[in-house]
Amino acid sequence: MTEALRGRGLAVSGTLAAVLTTLAVIGVFLVAPEDADQGIIQKIFYFHVALASASLVGFLVACIAGLLYLRRREERWDELSATAVGISLLFSGLVVVTGSIWAKASWGTWWVWSDPRLVTYLIVVLLYAAYFVLRSSAEGERRRRHSAIFAVAAFASVPLSFWSVRVANSFVHPVVFTQRGANMPGSMLVWFVVSQAAMLAVFATLVQLQLVQSRAERALQRLKSLVEA
Amino acid sequence: MSSGTQYVVAAYAVIWFGILLYVVVAGARTARIARELELLSRILERRDP
Amino acid sequence: MSLLWARQLRALVLKDLRLELRTRDTLAAMVLFSLLAMVLLQFAFGRVESDLTRFAGGLLWVVLALTAVLGVGRSYVAEREQGVLDGLLAAPVSRLVLIGAKALAIAGYLVAVEVVAVPLVGIFFVRGPFFSELGWIVLVCLLADVAIGLLGSLMAALALFGRARELLLPIIFLPSLVPVVIAASGATHAITGGPNDMAEYRGYCLFLGVYAVTFALVTFATYESVFDD
Repeated sequence: MTEALRGRGLAVSGTLAAVLTTLAVIGVFLVAPEDADQGIIQKIFYFHVALASASLVGFLVACIAGLLYLRRREERWDELSATAVGISLLFSGLVVVTGSIWAKASWGTWWVWSDPRLVTYLIVVLLYAAYFVLRSSAEGERRRRHSAIFAVAAFASVPLSFWSVRVANSFVHPVVFTQRGANMPGSMLVWFVVSQAAMLAVFATLVQLQLVQSRAERALQRLKSLVEA
Repeated sequence: MSSGTQYVVAAYAVIWFGILLYVVVAGARTARIARELELLSRILERRDP
Repeated sequence: MSLLWARQLRALVLKDLRLELRTRDTLAAMVLFSLLAMVLLQFAFGRVESDLTRFAGGLLWVVLALTAVLGVGRSYVAEREQGVLDGLLAAPVSRLVLIGAKALAIAGYLVAVEVVAVPLVGIFFVRGPFFSELGWIVLVCLLADVAIGLLGSLMAALALFGRARELLLPIIFLPSLVPVVIAASGATHAITGGPNDMAEYRGYCLFLGVYAVTFALVTFATYESVFDD
């Protein structure tokens, strides 16, 4: 029963992801107006920001799954937590790379320390890469427990990092807001929302894909031990 | 193609690459699972013909 | 009965501090390390800029952050080496008190290091009023030490066992420490980098308080699972 449900979940989010991503790309490039100040370079933001918030959602999911594991000690929560961190880490890496490309396009250098989001995501990548180092340092029950605790602590660090970077920047450089959410014309905003939904759907799809594989691997292990017996 | 457009294309290409890379890794994982399943089924077939 | 935890806390903290005072190895090493770090940083920046007053705030906290890694890494060593940890866990002491005591002990070590390191930073790097403003700097140190203690006691417990634990601790500890370094160095710089900027100072100190409260909450949410059962 659960298998049928899981398979359908993957198909649903996968289809949704495909549709929304296509829609987003078409909308961003063919429909949305070009930004007055930055020109075509601004178009990087649609997915740059969407990836960033999707990864944030992912880290939140990992944090909640971690807490659930600590309370209930069911392996599937640890699995969800680790999977969510992995894919969010991938997304965060993409945030940093696309942000760097934007920096090169806008400022001529491959990096700027004045963009709070870019700097925060660099810290986030370091933070969650450490998650996997921690995970590989332990086995079994301790691995799951420690990973869960770290997933919670790391998520607390994310807003703290963002605020500290932003506050520090505001005292030193003028705050470079890469895009003003409130002032954005509706014709742009709608495509931001679509890109956002698209990235969330992609995230959900990749997570389910990995969870399905993990299930297959575990079933395989059970089969192996049965055969060896 | 203006240099601005080149950067936008590069950014989207990177995203595309990143996600596809993940798919490739997932594919390799599935391939390994499939291989081991085949091995197991062959063992079982030999055992109970 | 409600004061039992307070008495236990005090006993545990005093145990750690007394142990340290008797052997003095960790403390001496930390102080020496902080001096070495200062010298290295002087040679990194001092050749280009002879007056490092503007960098003093940042210098102090980079030095203290790296020193804290050493101290935190050593914080459970006594328990681990003498098998004391199992005994402590078996005792009717709440794990929250245990971790809290460790946090206070780490803060205590840092205070001891700062007694030497802060004046030295003032002497080596600050041209301008420093010792007259020491009170403000002391407050920053206390806030930051509590924050570092709370973060450190949690992270050190995660890095207690497992492979390559000396390497593991810095990796899981430092990314989460970044906001503390940003805020503490910002607050210190607000005092040492010229006329006192109290608005900045207050902002950063408030941040340190929020950080400490956040990690106290994280510890509270996870303390039951930190140690093996």
